[in-house]
Amino acid sequence: MNALQRHRALTRIWASEPGWTGWLTTVNHNDLGRMFLVAAATFFGIGGLLAMLIRAQLASPRSAFMGPEVYNQVFTMHGTIMMFLFAIPLFEGLTVYLLPKMLGTRDLAFPRLGAYGFWCYVFGGSMLVLSLLAGVAPDSGWFMYPPLSSSLGSPGINSDVWLIGITFVEISAISAAVEVVVTILRYRAPGMSLDRMPIFAWYMLVVAVMILTGFPPMILGSILLELERAFGMPFFQVAEGGDSLLWQHLFWLFGHPEVYIIFLPAAGVVSTILPVMARRTLMGYGWIVGAAVSLGVLSFGLWVHHMFTTGIPHMGLAFFSAASTLVAVPTAVQIFAWIGTLWTGRPQLRLPMLWILAFFATFVIGGLTGVMVAVVPFDWQVHDTHFVVAHLHYVLVGGFVFPMLAAIYYWLPHMTGRRRFFRLGETAFWLIVVGFHVTFLAVHWVGLLGQRRRTETYEPGQGWEIINLVSSIGGFVTAIGFGLVLVDVVVNAAVAIRGSRDPWGAGTLEWAMPTPPPAYNFASLPEVRGRDPLYDDPDLPVRIARGEGFLGTPRGNLRETLTVDVASGRAAHHVVLPGNTALPIVMALVTGGAFVGMLLKLYWLVPLAALGVIILAIRWVWTLGSRTDLGPQDVGRGLALPAAPEVEDPPGWWGTLFLLIADATLFGSLLFGYAFLWTVAPNWPPPAYLEPGALMPALAGAGALLAVLGPRVAERGLRRSGQAGAGLGLTLAGAVGAAVAAGLAIRGAADPQAHAYDATVWVLGGYVLFHAVLLALMVGVLGARAWAGFLSPLRYGELRILRLWADYGAAATVLGLAAAGLPGALT
Amino acid sequence: MNDILRLSLPLTVWLAAFSALYGLHGVLCSPRWDEAALGLAAGRGVLGLAGLLAVAAQVALLLALRSGRFASPSGFVRATSVGLSVVALVATLWTLIPVAATSTCL
Repeated sequence: MNALQRHRALTRIWASEPGWTGWLTTVNHNDLGRMFLVAAATFFGIGGLLAMLIRAQLASPRSAFMGPEVYNQVFTMHGTIMMFLFAIPLFEGLTVYLLPKMLGTRDLAFPRLGAYGFWCYVFGGSMLVLSLLAGVAPDSGWFMYPPLSSSLGSPGINSDVWLIGITFVEISAISAAVEVVVTILRYRAPGMSLDRMPIFAWYMLVVAVMILTGFPPMILGSILLELERAFGMPFFQVAEGGDSLLWQHLFWLFGHPEVYIIFLPAAGVVSTILPVMARRTLMGYGWIVGAAVSLGVLSFGLWVHHMFTTGIPHMGLAFFSAASTLVAVPTAVQIFAWIGTLWTGRPQLRLPMLWILAFFATFVIGGLTGVMVAVVPFDWQVHDTHFVVAHLHYVLVGGFVFPMLAAIYYWLPHMTGRRRFFRLGETAFWLIVVGFHVTFLAVHWVGLLGQRRRTETYEPGQGWEIINLVSSIGGFVTAIGFGLVLVDVVVNAAVAIRGSRDPWGAGTLEWAMPTPPPAYNFASLPEVRGRDPLYDDPDLPVRIARGEGFLGTPRGNLRETLTVDVASGRAAHHVVLPGNTALPIVMALVTGGAFVGMLLKLYWLVPLAALGVIILAIRWVWTLGSRTDLGPQDVGRGLALPAAPEVEDPPGWWGTLFLLIADATLFGSLLFGYAFLWTVAPNWPPPAYLEPGALMPALAGAGALLAVLGPRVAERGLRRSGQAGAGLGLTLAGAVGAAVAAGLAIRGAADPQAHAYDATVWVLGGYVLFHAVLLALMVGVLGARAWAGFLSPLRYGELRILRLWADYGAAATVLGLAAAGLPGALT
Repeated sequence: MNDILRLSLPLTVWLAAFSALYGLHGVLCSPRWDEAALGLAAGRGVLGLAGLLAVAAQVALLLALRSGRFASPSGFVRATSVGLSVVALVATLWTLIPVAATSTCL
């Protein structure tokens, strides 16, 4: 087979369907990455328009342009769109597009999950934007503090739109995070050990784990606040044992890591582009990996620094002030490594490099004002003023948007296959950078003079007029600059001249393919011997195209790729990925039905949609696996590898493991919230605790034990005699026991509207019940799959996945029901 | 997977200890501690003890990651995990300073 025949065969296998249906059914990361980027850019345009409305309003005192009702919706939606619908999806899009190429593989680990996440994002985001057009957009600020966002402060639908819409969108973030972690750990080119991974992959590994552990507290907070609003469960109502500060804790447990979740991908972009622009390799690779990991974890210890004015004792303030200053150290390590790389290199001042220099200047200023607000007495002075608005824009625009503009210009030739010809980008650069600094230096200033944020107008005579006017002019200049970037990108993508394959002379694998990239990325999978494979072997692209790597001979319609050992990068398994399907978009639509049902109080729609999701999920898993034993698969170069259905840790096992980490974080946040209310909230203890009796603990304990034993018995039976039925029956009995115990806890609690304790028992019981029902469903599906021939003594990996869920469900049952019942048992 | 654990464990232990100390501090300053009638001096002692445990855990991790038994076979992972363990130890000491230096519940 020659290179052209190979290209045609692989394109037929990997490409999306022709015509408009291709956009709806594609699961290919090339398409999904571009779709994410376009959608995020669209939301950025909407968020930017809202920013211009804000600046128009604040340009003069006593402005009649907007009343407070509209202004509240505009600034809330500006923040919400920029944080949730632009920043996170933009770097997700870039990652979805780039990561498999950088890692030397053909697609992400779970293509259909990626597509499902994309459609959840588009539908959820559209729901939020439509609410703006309907005049019922969220209006309590992007962090939605109760009691302002509670039923008392916001009786309309506005807060529900935020809570339900954002939770829907977050499905996308969690899906992408699971997919990214598993891809980085398992789907790399053979030979790519951890120390040979591209630095961007390290950053994204850290970010994806942060998403899995950072987003669940906010998802939990949104669920609790929506339960309060919809059903009167008083988690945040002081009179009934709740506490509005609980929301602040849950929100900022997400919100501060979120800043780093946004910054770290940008830092990954800088660490990738800057060495290429400096024409040398990255200085201090190991130090940067360490700094990224440190920053990722340390950022979880800062959440209270957003709550310095809530009356926390000095020691508590000092804990978080100390942790806040600490994060400056790994940030500085990265900055010094970048400066060192530039210092010892031969930098070229091309457009991506210009944006990186703008990032340096702006982000360092934002970081320094961050250290200022980490100092408690200063924070007390500037809290809720425009100084904080300016600080966060310096960090987020300087630390994220500017590097992303560098990324757009750096990888535009890759996406389009064209060389930039028209030079609008340089003009746009100066308009944006100058406009931005004029805008937000002025906002710092007016904040120091005392102007409050989230207030629609101000009185003349306070010395704020000229500063605000200058700031607004700067804002409009910035907007014109962004408009020019859009024109520049579109024109250069559409009509510029064809470019070369590796126009920057980079060493990473995404440049080892034709541009724009084919749907399959690599005609054959390369074997990697260093951190910059194209520097090590300049002929690598030719050898890849000739099929000299792994899987160079396409087979049938199979989307084939490989997994590797996590640490060594040794080739491990042969994987066949699923093809194009409408299942993800249909499932996202049906999932949306549940959220819309909650939003519009059409509660009958929620169980109906849930049933639809279950049916579609069964269909989803039914298409996976194999009904026959496949044995070792020939992957070329004389190597045969086990097929993924015949290993103990198939990709689904890894995906489940990381999904359960997110699940456990949500559960941990629930227990934290419970402990917080118990120790801090006024109006505790409740009038009565749940009396657990003997039956509930006995059922919970027995159910947990059976759930743990069942999958192990099933696996032993399957591998010895081909029979998993007895073990599956035990697991089912365990699930039923746990479900009944949870039901008893819920029934035993008093009215959930009476006290936050009773409401918490309902949520704990509901959480256990949900996992028990899920486990029972899984047992049913696995039983059916065993009957249909998907399991055999060689194909037992699915039982390992069940085991993960069963072990987790058992632990949640014991912990959750103990937390609910122990106070009653001990008093 | 073991290498990922080696890289992530020290700072995760810092985060767990930091959060636990903050939670413990919350308990000390809550009406529940008043009900127990143990006094704030005892509370600070408990905080100090918890802090010492956190430092001891970090020192133990650092020694383990340098030992032949638990160290990674990969030189890169070994160096990075030991470096991260040092970071976690310093972070623990730095963020514990308030236990000795500030008032407990003012």
